Formats: sequence, C-alpha cells, structure tokens
Amino acid sequence: MEKPVNENSSKDIIFNAMLKRNPILVSGMVVAPAIMTADSLSRAATLAAAFSLITFFTLLISSFVPKNIVYTIRIIMYAFIGSLVYVPAAIMLKYYIPDEIGQMGIFFPLLVVNSLIVSRSETIFFLESKGKMMLDIVFCIIGYDAAVILYGIIREIIGAGTAGGKIIGMPIVFQVFSTPAGGFILLGVMAALLRIILLMIKKVRQK
Amino acid sequence: MELLKNIVIAAFTSVIVENTIFSRALGTSTLIMVARNKKNLFGFGLSVTFITSIVSILTYFAAKALKMDENSYIYTPLVYILILGAVYIITLLCLWKFAVALFVKIKKYIHISAFNCAVLGSMFIITEYCETFTDHLIHGIGVGLGFVLAVYITAAVYDRIYSEKVPYSFRGYPLLMIYLGILGMAFWGFSGHIINY
Repeated sequence: MEKPVNENSSKDIIFNAMLKRNPILVSGMVVAPAIMTADSLSRAATLAAAFSLITFFTLLISSFVPKNIVYTIRIIMYAFIGSLVYVPAAIMLKYYIPDEIGQMGIFFPLLVVNSLIVSRSETIFFLESKGKMMLDIVFCIIGYDAAVILYGIIREIIGAGTAGGKIIGMPIVFQVFSTPAGGFILLGVMAALLRIILLMIKKVRQK
Repeated sequence: MELLKNIVIAAFTSVIVENTIFSRALGTSTLIMVARNKKNLFGFGLSVTFITSIVSILTYFAAKALKMDENSYIYTPLVYILILGAVYIITLLCLWKFAVALFVKIKKYIHISAFNCAVLGSMFIITEYCETFTDHLIHGIGVGLGFVLAVYITAAVYDRIYSEKVPYSFRGYPLLMIYLGILGMAFWGFSGHIINY
C-alpha cells in the first residue's frame, strides 16, 4: 500500500517541485533557453543563474498583484514585472560574467516571459499560501537549475568531448548533441530516465 | 520580379529553414500546451500569426529608436513587453466590440499566443536580422506561420505519442522531445548540410 502523500507537508512540496513536477524534465517548461544555450557546464550554469534571478524576484513581486484585477491584465503585469526585474539582473550579470551572458544572446531577455512566470504562477504558485508558495518557487527553481546543469554537463561530454572546458579523451563524440536537434533528443531521454527513477521511488514507497 | 524573389526567399527562410521551433526551439512550452487540443489549432494559429505580424511592424519603428542607444539592451525587453501588451489589449477590445463569438472562442488561449517565447523571440530576431520594413513584415508573418506549421506537425502525431502502446517511461513528453529532435534534424537539412567525403 502506497503511503498517503500529504500535499501540504514541506517534504512533499520539495519532492514535487524538484522531481515529480520538475519544470523542464516533467512539465516541459523553459525548454528553449536550455536547448539553445546549455550545451556546456559553464553555459548551463550561466542560464541557471540568470533564470534563478529573474524568475524568483518576478514571482515574488508578482504575488502581490491583486487577484481582483482581470486575468488578461494580470498576465501583462507579470511580464512587465519580469522585464523590470531584468534591468538590475542584466546590469549585474553583465558586470560579473559579461562574456557568458553575451553568449546567451536573445535567450537571456526571453526569460522574462518564461512559463513559470506566465503559466505556472496562476495555475499553482499563487493558489498556495505565501509560505508554501515561497518553498515551492525556490525548489522549482533549484530543480530546474539542477536539471539544466546536469543536461549541460552530459551535452558537453558527449557533444564536445570536454568536461568543464577540458578535453577528457572521449573515444567518440556526437556533435549533433551540441545542436538544437540533439538537444531535444537528449532532453527527451533525460525526461524518460527521470520517469523511471520516479517509478522506482514510487515502488519503494509502496513497499 | 526581384522583389517577389526576395519575398519568396524570406518567407521560405522564416517558415522552413529557420523555423521558430525546429531551429531555435522558441515556443516549445507553448507548443506542448496547444498541440493537445486539436479543435483550437486554427484559431490559435491565426492569433499567433496576427500578433507576430502586428508586433513585427511596431518593432520596426521601436528598433530604429532603440538602436540609437548602445545601452538599450537593458530596457529593450521592457519596451517590447509594452508593445506586446498594447497589441494584446487592442486585439481583445476589437474582438469584444466587433466579433463577440470569436472573442468568446479564443479568449481562453489568446494570452498564451501573445506572451510566449516564440512571439517575444521573433521581435528580438527581427531586430537583429531585418533592416527594411518589408523584411520585418515578411519575417513577422513567417515566424507565425512557421510556428503554426510546427504545431500542426506535432498535433498530427499527438495521440500516437501519448498512446498506451508506447512504453510508460517514454510516453508523452519524452517521446515528443525526441520527435521534435528528429524533425529538427530534417529541417536542419534545408540549411544545406554537406557531408565531407
């Protein structure tokens, strides 16, 4: 018999946010920046930093937008808040990691309309109490960052034969994994692997 | 004749060669959401193409002003979100006033068709690569049509991808990503990949 899952416990919120509803590997959110930019560890880490900064502060500020404002306007306000948060984030990241952030190209400003802000905010985050919402947002972001960094490491190893920029002597390199097409395929395989892991966890819980 | 040739090349490039989904993965999350419901595909495609076309025209004027300031990268998303927001509200108001039936039909998903990476991304790409007004307009329409093409191709196999015949670990989203990857490779061929042997 499976243990009853208490959706309200912090442990389950963390488990759901990071694994069961992982933004990129389960829900298919914020896919474009990962596929187009996270083809190495350093680029994946840059994406994770930019995504975390913009998403956390945008969702935090957006949670104060009154619910009596019509949905149509609320969505515009979230995107507008995202683009306001982008201003200090862009200045800060350009100062500390100018080359890495430059390599992200258009995918850095595009983070202001990512699915966590435009879609998941209304369907999940803003329906929770403030405390749970914060926990959910933080671990959703950590879950995304962890998945993207792992994705970047694997892509760098099999697509370029390097790890952290150093040649590791791979016997064969599949350059296709550095392209968007290969990025899609690897993401699909990683999503399937996570599903197998989740199934194994479920079986252990049932025992 | 020269103009017509350029229009055809630009349209082919933006719809096929540089397809928003298969070459840049822009709007993949939106595609996953939309391909589920085949009933709304036409309406959704129409609204995306309409919005990308209108914002591409407005981007032409905004980009001219933005290019004068070298630090404009800081507030460009803000300007583009305001343009997108204005187009979104005006479109909704016009529909509500003149086509109530259509408004009721598409109001559920029009926000998804406006605020997504495909539309905002098209504004950034157009700013970077297009110079003339005609280029802006053709690419705006092309990006919308390219996105619609990708949605239709995905919706065509959606039921098979989610079929119970597919092993559980690959059913749905994982297989959809692999499918998009394979299609991405096929579309990549249009850009002229040559084997060196």
